[in-house]
Amino acid sequence: MKEVRTIKERIYSRYLQKKGASGLSDWKNILTQLTTSEGKPEALDDMMVLDLSYANFSGNITASFLAEAGAEVIKVEPPEGDPSRAMSPYGANVKGVGIPYLMESRNKRQITLDLESTEGQENLKRLVKRADILIETYAPGQMDAWGIGYRQLRELNPGLIYIAISPYGHYTAKGREMAEMPWTDLTSQAESGLAALIGDLPDAPEPYNWPTRAGFYAAGYTSAVGAACGGLVASFFKRRTGEGQMVDIATADAYASCVGFPPTIGYVWKKPRLRYGTLDYGLCPYGFFKCQDGYVAIACFRDQDFRAALKLLGQWKIEEEWKTLLDRITDDIDKVKELNAVVEKAVGKYTYKQINEKFASYSVKAAGSKWRGGGLPVTTKMLTPDEVLQEEHWITRGTFPKIAHPSFGLVTLPTTGKMTKTPLRVKWISANIGEDNDYVFEKYGLVKNK
Amino acid sequence: MTEDYFNFTDKLFAREDIDKKAEALKGIRVLDLSHMIFGPTAAKTLAQYGAEVIKVEVPNQGDYWRGGTYWGKYWKHSNPLWHFINPGKYFVGIDVKKPKGKDLILRLAEKADVIIENFTSGTVEAWGIGYSQVSKINPKVIYASLSTYGQFGPRRYAPGWDLLAQGASGVLSVTGHPDTDKYFKVPDFFGDFFPAYYAAMLIFIALNYRERAGEGQYIDGCQAEILMRTLGHFTYHDATGESLGRTGNMDPSTSPSGIFKTRDGKFVAVAIATDKQFQSFCKALGRDDLAQNDLYKKAASRLKRENALALNKVLEEWVITIDVQELAGLARKHRFAAAEVMDDVQISQDKWREERGSTILFEDDMYKKLLVEGPIAMLSKTPGRIKWLTRPLGYHNRYVFKKILGLTEDQIKDLEKERVVGTWDYRVGQRPPIYHDLSKDKIFNYEGGEDH
Repeated sequence: MKEVRTIKERIYSRYLQKKGASGLSDWKNILTQLTTSEGKPEALDDMMVLDLSYANFSGNITASFLAEAGAEVIKVEPPEGDPSRAMSPYGANVKGVGIPYLMESRNKRQITLDLESTEGQENLKRLVKRADILIETYAPGQMDAWGIGYRQLRELNPGLIYIAISPYGHYTAKGREMAEMPWTDLTSQAESGLAALIGDLPDAPEPYNWPTRAGFYAAGYTSAVGAACGGLVASFFKRRTGEGQMVDIATADAYASCVGFPPTIGYVWKKPRLRYGTLDYGLCPYGFFKCQDGYVAIACFRDQDFRAALKLLGQWKIEEEWKTLLDRITDDIDKVKELNAVVEKAVGKYTYKQINEKFASYSVKAAGSKWRGGGLPVTTKMLTPDEVLQEEHWITRGTFPKIAHPSFGLVTLPTTGKMTKTPLRVKWISANIGEDNDYVFEKYGLVKNK
Repeated sequence: MTEDYFNFTDKLFAREDIDKKAEALKGIRVLDLSHMIFGPTAAKTLAQYGAEVIKVEVPNQGDYWRGGTYWGKYWKHSNPLWHFINPGKYFVGIDVKKPKGKDLILRLAEKADVIIENFTSGTVEAWGIGYSQVSKINPKVIYASLSTYGQFGPRRYAPGWDLLAQGASGVLSVTGHPDTDKYFKVPDFFGDFFPAYYAAMLIFIALNYRERAGEGQYIDGCQAEILMRTLGHFTYHDATGESLGRTGNMDPSTSPSGIFKTRDGKFVAVAIATDKQFQSFCKALGRDDLAQNDLYKKAASRLKRENALALNKVLEEWVITIDVQELAGLARKHRFAAAEVMDDVQISQDKWREERGSTILFEDDMYKKLLVEGPIAMLSKTPGRIKWLTRPLGYHNRYVFKKILGLTEDQIKDLEKERVVGTWDYRVGQRPPIYHDLSKDKIFNYEGGEDH
């Protein structure tokens, strides 16, 4: 494999192929700079963020993203704690703190305030005067009823960026009507069009042909990245004008607003897509197929990629029938199943290593050839998260830092955002209730409860 | 008396005021060298909030997604699923492999604030338009290279896209039912779109930094790594020594939870997140025994595998006895989360999404009416907006080359003759709709003067 990789590097990196390419050392220097965050400035270390998320991971995650970019993030929760601490797969926890909460406690400060009490509200106002961004996930109107909503806080701090995250948003008739509806990732996935598309084919047995959940916080992360983008666009505007504003996120629309396919398909084609199992709406073959020791990707976008895959899998005899892309894009499910079955059967004869070597050496030959019609059959193996952790590539990239904490021990977390000057990074985790009360109360002159 | 809260917010976010409001990224120029979905979506996000985005494509070929679609179905000689990925951009056709084409791109790069590309690592460097070259003529540029495996690490030269990134990151392996041989991918190129918005977020971070420090930088947006950021499974594995694996249609971090069939044959998702919600959920069911049961009172115990599965069974058996509307009413009354599974058509016809601006029935000068997604976040003072849908390949050549680079008509004609710049060929997706009269199009035949 080492040998193939070296050849592949030479071919794929066209830059290296060029004789006397100027600036090669510059490019290498840039790549070296990407590998570390040591001693580098943080992009947002002039920003203070209040994270008031309550039983809502979209909020926790939004704050986490900003914290990784250097913002001072103060998580404010009631004295009994945020219920999202307990929300964890099968209740798994480290010293009473659930896995998702632990994971999203990076670089935060944890304090407790009772926002229903006057004292708590006064303390919050003291913090808000110094804050750039406030993130809240209470029922729309709740903060306002407490006297600490956007319209009161903007009087205290006109530069405040107020990010509200709720299932249906803080405006429109439905937002009002559904204000009390709580957030969950599952209902957000269902309502925003994701679940309807995941699951086995209509003729499969129940419940396998029912709508299925993407097995992670797909809606939570999607709405969080939207909220962070909105907050950062607002922050850019504030840097230029001094003005704050309100940012509103509706998680019941998370997935449709992210991928954009459901509304346009519904409008143009007037019929909903059915669940398509492991097939693809766009083209065939495009998916993971079972080989002797796992699952391997076969994805042929262009005709030449398809021809190459057929040759390598010993299926050239069917080429005539499926020649052009238009033959392989079809909403005739029986036809798609037929081609899929051929590929499935062929792939089943090999191990992943065999397929990968065939594909890799073909790609190298095709890429090296002057004739560019050779196709680029690409593949990869499906990995489980446990296997991903062992991959040399991610170890080299430092994707999974282990962060030490006095009560939680060493915690492994995924992180990403490599930049030459201000990379994202995990500096610490803080996840105990009120862990940083002393520090934050002192720093911002908050008044302690008697 | 204080104004009602929703009256206040309805005015704050009024859709009819959007076009009158300021644009946060006005004056930011973006050079979009990317193709397909990952890069173009990141660039689109900047365009929506006011940046001027110039998308560069190869003449007579263009972005492959122009000719892609689902089920081979096109719309007005275009891929309908291309319009919401590239709205509001300027489309130019320049052949980077011609020395003069490379120079043109570098001249645009010199005037750009942000550059986005998503080729395999090293490709833009080989073409002479990479960060090492551009940063010499434009040191303040923010240059984002987006790729499946990132710019460094042993797999950096491996090509890939959505499907491969889902497989390599672990995302694919966690979706589906346990103990089956099927792993479902997250559909609609989630593996491109989520990383695209994450990459946009990194660019916004860099723009914020540049605004205070005056410095540009290079961003390595790694698709598979960004997908990993969404998985709790690594931390779970490390903390418990076990693998979470696939969990079907339940969410194991809420209990009970699942997607079930109602009496009237609809599908509904129900998930109980907190102890308080569990108490009111039991009221809706009329199951005080469950509410009082010590196994279920507290989340920590309620979430344990055997308890969660037992409660999911109770939930499933209840849902099948009730119609979806009645269930939704009970959920609202008792304040627990329940939602009907919505499909493409329901979403496209949803009044709430339209009122909110999450979907926009856009009236375009060239393509007329199309329903597209709205911005990913709603901003009260500097809202995102769509100014036009996409345009044919090379449609803005004259507009961009004359206005930004100061080229004359004769110079452009020469470049066209030498095939350095160009437009479309006959293939679907590249050319304008047949009813569009190009001879009368002032932008296509731009001679100077008014803005687009």
